[in-house]
Amino acid sequence: MYAVHKLLWDIRREPALADRFRADPDDLLDDYGLTGEERDAMRSLDVKRLYDAGANPYLLYFCALQLGMPRNEYYARVRGERR
Amino acid sequence: MTATAPAAAQTQGSLVGVFATSHSPGMTGFPERAEAAQRNAVNDALAGLRARIAALRPDAIIAVSVEHFSNFSLANLPAFAIATAGSYRGPVTAEMAAFLNIGQRHYPGHAGLGEHLYRFALESEFDPALVQGDFEFDENFCVPLQFLDPQAQVPLVPVVVNGVNRPAPTARRCYDFGRMLRAAIEAQRLAQRVVVLGTGGLSHWVGMRESGDINEAFDRRFLERLSSGDAARLTDYRQEQIDEAGNGADEIRTWLVAAGAAGTGFDILAYEPIPAWLTGTAVAAARLP
Repeated sequence: MYAVHKLLWDIRREPALADRFRADPDDLLDDYGLTGEERDAMRSLDVKRLYDAGANPYLLYFCALQLGMPRNEYYARVRGERR
Repeated sequence: MTATAPAAAQTQGSLVGVFATSHSPGMTGFPERAEAAQRNAVNDALAGLRARIAALRPDAIIAVSVEHFSNFSLANLPAFAIATAGSYRGPVTAEMAAFLNIGQRHYPGHAGLGEHLYRFALESEFDPALVQGDFEFDENFCVPLQFLDPQAQVPLVPVVVNGVNRPAPTARRCYDFGRMLRAAIEAQRLAQRVVVLGTGGLSHWVGMRESGDINEAFDRRFLERLSSGDAARLTDYRQEQIDEAGNGADEIRTWLVAAGAAGTGFDILAYEPIPAWLTGTAVAAARLP
C-alpha cells in the first residue's frame, strides 16, 4: 500500500503528475512500480476498491479531488452508490 | 503583577490563555450552508475569543493542530512536531485558498520560542520532529486564525500532532505533551505572554463513507470531560472509542494538548452539530486562574 499512498500524495502535490496520470496512467504506474490489484484499482481510480483495501481516506479523497472528481461523486462511489 | 515584584519575574514567560476550536473548512469556505442560528453561535463564540486574545496582548501563540498531508507524508510522519520557522505560508495552494475563502499570505513565526520549545521538549524526554522550514498551513491553522487573528499579527509556533494516520499518540501522551509545553513556556524569557490554541475535531469523517454524520453524544461527553478539567477522565480514551466519532475525531488530540497545558477545566463557548460543515463544531476557553 505504500506505493499507492506515495502516488496519491505525489499527485496532490504535483499538478504535472496529475496531468501525466490523466494522459497515460500506465506510464506513471510503471514508474511507481504498481502491480496487480492495486494497479488495476489505481488505473481506473476505483476509489471504493482502494478504500476497501485500506487506503488512507485523507490521501484517497484529496487525490480524487485533485484529479477532478467532484466531492459528491467521491462519496457516492466509496459508499457503493455509484460505480 | 505588583510594582514590588522583582524585575526578573516580569520577564519570565507565562501562559495567559488556552483556547480550542474546530477548524472545519465550512466555517470560512461555505458558512452559508449552516443554519443561521448554528452559524451565529459559532461565529459569536469565535468573535468573543478574538477579543479575549487581543486583550491578552500575547507575544506568541503556540498553535497546536494536525497536518492534513500538506507537508508530511507516509514517508515521514511525525507523531509530534514543533516548527521553528520565522514565517509560514498558507493556505498551501491557490485551490485551497479558494476552497477556504482565505487569501494566501505569510503568517509570522516566533522562531526563538519554537527553538526553545524543541530543546525543552527533548530535555523533558519528549521526541518531537524538528521543522525548521518549508512548512505550510492548510485549514488546520488558516481557518481558526481567520477568526482569531485575521491580520496575522501574532507570531506563531506551530505544533503538530498526528491525527491523520493511525496509530497516533495516546490521549495520555497528548495531555502530558501539553503539560510539558506549559513548563517550557514558564522556563523562557523570549515571549512573556503566551497563548496556546488547539484546533481540530470534534466528530467528523473525512474521505469516509460516514462523511456528514456527527456523533453528538461523543462530542458532548468529550466536552463534559473537558469542562470538568478531570485529567483522568479526559485521557481515558482508547482509539476504538475515538473511532466512533470518525477519523476527524483523531484531532481531539490537539484539544488534549491544550488541556494539558491549561491544567484546568474549560468553558464551552459553543457546540453545534453542523452536518452542512460535516463537523461537530465547538469552541472552548480554559478557566485559567
